[in-house]
Amino acid sequence: MRIVVAYKWTCDPEEATARADGTVDWSRAKPGLSTYDPVAMELARHLAEQAGAELIGVTVGGKGVGAPIASKAVLGRGLDRVVIVEDESLREAGRSELAAVLAEAIRHIGDVDLVITGDSSVDVAAKMVPTVLAGELGWPAVAEVAAVTGQAGALRVERAIPGGVQVLEISGPAVLAASADAAVPRVPGMKELLAAAKKPVELLELAALKVPQQNAVMTVVDRARPERKARKGQLIDTADPAAAAAELVAALRAAGAL
Amino acid sequence: MSVNAWIVVADQPTVGNLVTVARSLGGPVAAVVAGPRSVAETVANSGVDKVVWCHAPDDAPPEASAQAVADTVAADPPRVVLAGRNPGERVLLGAAAARLKAAVLTGVRSVSLDGDTTTVVNAVFGDISDETVAVSGPVALLLDGGSVPPHAGSSAPIEEITVAPLGLKVIETRTHGFEKVDLNSAHRVIGVGRGVKAQEDLAMVEELAQALEAEIACSRPVAEGLNWMGKDRYIGSSGAHIAPQLYLAVGISGQLQHMVGVTGAETIVGINTDANAALFSQTDYGLVGDLYQLVPAITAALK
Amino acid sequence: MDFELTDEQQLIREAVREFAESEVAPIAAEVDRDHRFPSELVPRMAELNIMGMPYPEKFGGAGADNVSYMIAAEELARACATTSVILLAHASLATYPVYKFGTDAQHERYLHDMASGRRLGAFALTEPGAGTDAGAGTTTATLKGDEYVLNGSKIFITNAPFAEIYIVFAKTDPAQGTRGMSAFIVEKDTPGFSVGEAEHKLGIRGSSTPPLYFADCHIPRDALLGGEGDGFKIAMQTLDGGRIGIAAQAVGIAQAALDAATAYAKERVQFGKPIGALQAIQWMIADMATQLDAARLLTYRAAWCEDQGRPYGTEGAMAKLFASETATRVCDRAIQIHGGYGYTESYPVERNYRDAKITELYEGTSEVQRMVIARSYLR
Repeated sequence: MRIVVAYKWTCDPEEATARADGTVDWSRAKPGLSTYDPVAMELARHLAEQAGAELIGVTVGGKGVGAPIASKAVLGRGLDRVVIVEDESLREAGRSELAAVLAEAIRHIGDVDLVITGDSSVDVAAKMVPTVLAGELGWPAVAEVAAVTGQAGALRVERAIPGGVQVLEISGPAVLAASADAAVPRVPGMKELLAAAKKPVELLELAALKVPQQNAVMTVVDRARPERKARKGQLIDTADPAAAAAELVAALRAAGAL
Repeated sequence: MSVNAWIVVADQPTVGNLVTVARSLGGPVAAVVAGPRSVAETVANSGVDKVVWCHAPDDAPPEASAQAVADTVAADPPRVVLAGRNPGERVLLGAAAARLKAAVLTGVRSVSLDGDTTTVVNAVFGDISDETVAVSGPVALLLDGGSVPPHAGSSAPIEEITVAPLGLKVIETRTHGFEKVDLNSAHRVIGVGRGVKAQEDLAMVEELAQALEAEIACSRPVAEGLNWMGKDRYIGSSGAHIAPQLYLAVGISGQLQHMVGVTGAETIVGINTDANAALFSQTDYGLVGDLYQLVPAITAALK
Repeated sequence: MDFELTDEQQLIREAVREFAESEVAPIAAEVDRDHRFPSELVPRMAELNIMGMPYPEKFGGAGADNVSYMIAAEELARACATTSVILLAHASLATYPVYKFGTDAQHERYLHDMASGRRLGAFALTEPGAGTDAGAGTTTATLKGDEYVLNGSKIFITNAPFAEIYIVFAKTDPAQGTRGMSAFIVEKDTPGFSVGEAEHKLGIRGSSTPPLYFADCHIPRDALLGGEGDGFKIAMQTLDGGRIGIAAQAVGIAQAALDAATAYAKERVQFGKPIGALQAIQWMIADMATQLDAARLLTYRAAWCEDQGRPYGTEGAMAKLFASETATRVCDRAIQIHGGYGYTESYPVERNYRDAKITELYEGTSEVQRMVIARSYLR
């Protein structure tokens, strides 16, 4: 079986700050593997351990996504090789454009049976790249995947639905987005990390992929810090719980909240 | 009719907000439904101009109709395609966006049309900044779907199409025994955090919920880590975003990842033993104290 | 000059941190409170190839450089000082002499098991009457036919009785002083070898450091490590490298205390603002951070010297001296920043404070380190 794990090498917004004019300052942020991508890799490894599979990491983005440390971080987590499209023009690309490039990279790899992605990226958190990717490939997509077993052409997928879990059978290649808690990623071992540098890294030229153009153009015309509803910030003394409760209920009634 | 806005629906008709936004853009609004016929009927009564219902085999999940949904939308290409924040809708929207080669925005605060430009105010990077984006060409938008819309008067026609499903089918459904909930339609919500020490203690919170006529929700660790409630009750950056009249946070620290789900609440009350908790900079009324004493006290005060 | 860690070193830090935060930190308080040896962590660290990091892969190690190993020790210490010393005593003190001075047969018999972490090791030099004066040991090893017979006792032996393999130093020729000392590999459960009662300590409470008793303990002749009379040299050379590890442990403990102090300074509100807004606190944090950074740089520099095949004795002593005294100072200030709360078990800084002190004492007291450094300058 040939499994692609699509991953993202990017910065965590927790390390970014919004300036007063709404622009975002990333200068103190250090890029890393997107938070939920290791969960996707764990699901892939688990499936590979059961069914036998080649695990290929794929990523697309601006300059930096092909940095050796990024590839080693991924290859040190059990993937066999990585395929990268690194092009500065992709730094500000929208979800659709990134999905279209990913689709071409996957076509270039060929004979892919399954694509697994994380729940969402740590920075954009759109949850749409996997589904647009599936649309581009013409494959089924399933999100909130908790488990995947089986083999190529006969995959069994468990996914969360409101109220429970649904088990699906998929008869061909598919794109699965792992839920954030689908698995606890195993900690990489020291030998795995040291061996990562020896595994193959393939860089694809964006121009050579001949990705079809998008029909929409997005331009950011303004930025602002979001307005936050001002909160009263009133503290109620709780030395006497009954009195505190009475004071709270009275305040809520007066404010029309009850 | 040349559709201006398509609404994409899976198996839940929680599209009230989508219909409102679509209608505000002017022009014909259509919906494509990949779920049971009953959902198509509810949507047909919500104020849209037409509904296309994808009739797939009984064991086909909504995702199996993704290509049919893409075909439908592409046959009458709109300026805007809208969907709610559910896994099924995201798959259908993704297929439509890929087919249209449309832009995708997922933090939508507002949408308006300006000649040939669609202007979207979009929250980015975990809500730390709002970008105003001008889009030329088709755009796919992910928003809070809203609740089940009320009957809007006349009923739109439902066009039924038979779907050859993509190769996936449901072979088993297991309920986890957690009661389903629609947090979006609750006027009052109590959020439970890790300050509540044991699952049995939820009974005390439930008594308060009854007295308050409130729904119970939680922070992510309580649903995912502790598994005390279904995941549909977790409020946070990748969980539910709600704007009730009253949100009461019990034993919640007030971190951004949770509070971003309730920034729209009218009134926020917080109970936590830690005076330094981030919670208290985000409440209208804060009670620094022991929830095990305060929760029953508030229940009593309400009776 | 490049102050950047390599990609591998950064990834190793992240991985060990992930392990430390998810599996070690959650039990650190209990390990301390209950004086419990966290034996469940040893096979986990072995699984992650942490137990023999600097040893070649062909011997079961990870083939990592010493800087990486020190980074791992530091990250573990940041979560739990006990766990860090379990690793360091095993990998630096017990495994090193076998690797460096063992025969092929000894490598065959012990090295793979030790470097892979399958069997835990301990280093038994210190005696009731021989601490800093390590050459004053009175434990003897008398050759009788094809065996050595050990008699005597050791004290404060880290990892006993959980260790299976003990590097024991004993006098084959007591009249020769330090030149009469030899090193031996002794296996657990050898008749005549017993382990005494656990020692209750101020800190690293989960680290098991009981005495060892040798009463007519017969070991095979080929248990001798190196040659007769090489023992003191083997011990000193082993401690040269071991002290870099203790420097790393001190850095990790100090980092935990600094992290706690900065978090507290940002949250604790007095007089209407966080105490971090007060210059007194700011200056404390500035000094703590600067000294900690210097300690870390000294530690990595010593490990780098070892990796480069350069002499590292003085550098290691400087790192251990400075890092240990820094750790005690930083932990003291961390409690000060916490005020009264820092004195209670509700906050981790009191444990950091108790853990830090040992780094000034074992593997050569600060006085020994000063002797080593002075000697290299006043030669």
